[in-house]
Amino acid sequence: MIAIESAGITHVGKKRKGNEDALFLDDALGLYVVADGMGGHLAGEIASQLVVKTISQHILQAKNNGASGKNIVADNTLSHAANQLLSGIQLSNKVVHEASLDNDSFRGMGSTVSAVYFTDGTFIVANVGDSPIYLIRDGKIKLISVLHTVLAEQAAIDPANAEKLGMEFRHVLTRAMGTESSVKADIYEIQCFKDDILVISSDGLSDKASPDEILTLVNQNGLDTACRKLVELANDRGGDDNVTTIVLKIKKLKNARINLSRIKAITGRYFARLFSSAKT
Amino acid sequence: MPILTLKFKDSAIGEYQLQKGLSLTIGRRTNNDVVIENLAVSGHHAKIDSVGDEFVLIDLQSKNGSFVNEKIVNTHWLTDGDIINIGKHSLTFKYADGEQIPDADSDKIEKTMIMDTSQYRSMMKKSQPNIPESVIKNGEISSECGLAFLAGGHGKIDLSNRITKIGKHPESDVVIKGMWVGQTAAAISKRPDGFYISYVGGLSKPKINDKAIKHSVILNDLDVIDIGPAKLQFHDLSHSKTKILRIDKDTGRPAPEAL
Repeated sequence: MIAIESAGITHVGKKRKGNEDALFLDDALGLYVVADGMGGHLAGEIASQLVVKTISQHILQAKNNGASGKNIVADNTLSHAANQLLSGIQLSNKVVHEASLDNDSFRGMGSTVSAVYFTDGTFIVANVGDSPIYLIRDGKIKLISVLHTVLAEQAAIDPANAEKLGMEFRHVLTRAMGTESSVKADIYEIQCFKDDILVISSDGLSDKASPDEILTLVNQNGLDTACRKLVELANDRGGDDNVTTIVLKIKKLKNARINLSRIKAITGRYFARLFSSAKT
Repeated sequence: MPILTLKFKDSAIGEYQLQKGLSLTIGRRTNNDVVIENLAVSGHHAKIDSVGDEFVLIDLQSKNGSFVNEKIVNTHWLTDGDIINIGKHSLTFKYADGEQIPDADSDKIEKTMIMDTSQYRSMMKKSQPNIPESVIKNGEISSECGLAFLAGGHGKIDLSNRITKIGKHPESDVVIKGMWVGQTAAAISKRPDGFYISYVGGLSKPKINDKAIKHSVILNDLDVIDIGPAKLQFHDLSHSKTKILRIDKDTGRPAPEAL
């Protein structure tokens, strides 16, 4: 049993007219999604909302159907829950892709997706595109998603060459939701601890605030205030893009195997036996 | 229109007027608009193009690179007060006082674009033919990482799963028997930057190189993991060429293969 507390916020920013970001958070379901849409006119908004809606519905259905639910994806290196999430991503990619083919004004639309899904004792992190997911644990902040940008991929191959690439490559994605008929998400399953904090955001935040600044703001504030202050920070520094962020914290993590009541019961039984055997 | 001031060690040695619609070249050869006589400067080092109301600096694949505000650039949209460094010379880009500075943000808000993936891959391949395809697919699980029993068990375990569970429970990926070992004692999960081991439960806490783990730590090549009676070693063959197969009997530690 995991108890999670979360807060999420999305803001249009100061330069854009529409908000192409979408978010979903549900503590009971244990699912958190941020999508950053792109494409002219209203297409970006449609794409990100389709992604968020499709994934959350898929996970809700999968959870209701229990283990019997069929997954489109069955990767045997992944746990069942991870396959569920991956299937949700695959499905929403298909939905966006088909919508973009059906409607001329939606042609070429796409979206990023960054999702976190909790199981008993672990959380699954999956992403396509450049919306970052950070893990704050033991006072340190770490990026736990993979950025699918030309710059990040170049940096992995040839750091010297990546440095030469101009800033205009920073926002060029190598993968996105809905641009092709199938998509490959990066997915990880991580053991979860009490007091872990996860921050999921769109690049509107990560362009303006460094991981350490995010760490400081999240440490100093409650979740709601932290979200609000992160958005304020991005807007104070220009607010060039939509800003979205979800901050969530693991409040309680019950380990069924060791707890005080169980130890009490065992020692109680031991003393009872000792006592009764002494009597005979 | 902005003016470029050429300086060498704080003393101005030339001024150049930029004009709308005209390019300006910078280099060592005399047929450039801005000639810098220094061996560190390439024949045709860089140029400044006029685009719309603005100016963009483009490095012409110079040997020593072009820098703007101390950062190496390929292309850079110049803004008021930028300092371009070429070799030991500097060029200051400055608009005249009172001149209206074009609003860079007006129609150039940084927009995220999607690269045509297949086109991108083939472009990358052409420009860097030596890079194997697999390197580009980051995030892919490499089966090059694994665990090997040093004690308390036999054989090797491939870390091909995203999460590998170690414990007493019969369904664990690695089953370890022992009084104080938890049903799931530890879990090893793959993350973008490597494999992390986490303590999950049980009275015997896993140790890495004799240090107990509190939450989770990243595993490095040849780390030794102690869980109850078992001793496991982590191998990361993707980063090292050492292949450890033989255990030195005297020390109980693996001996590097003689070359």
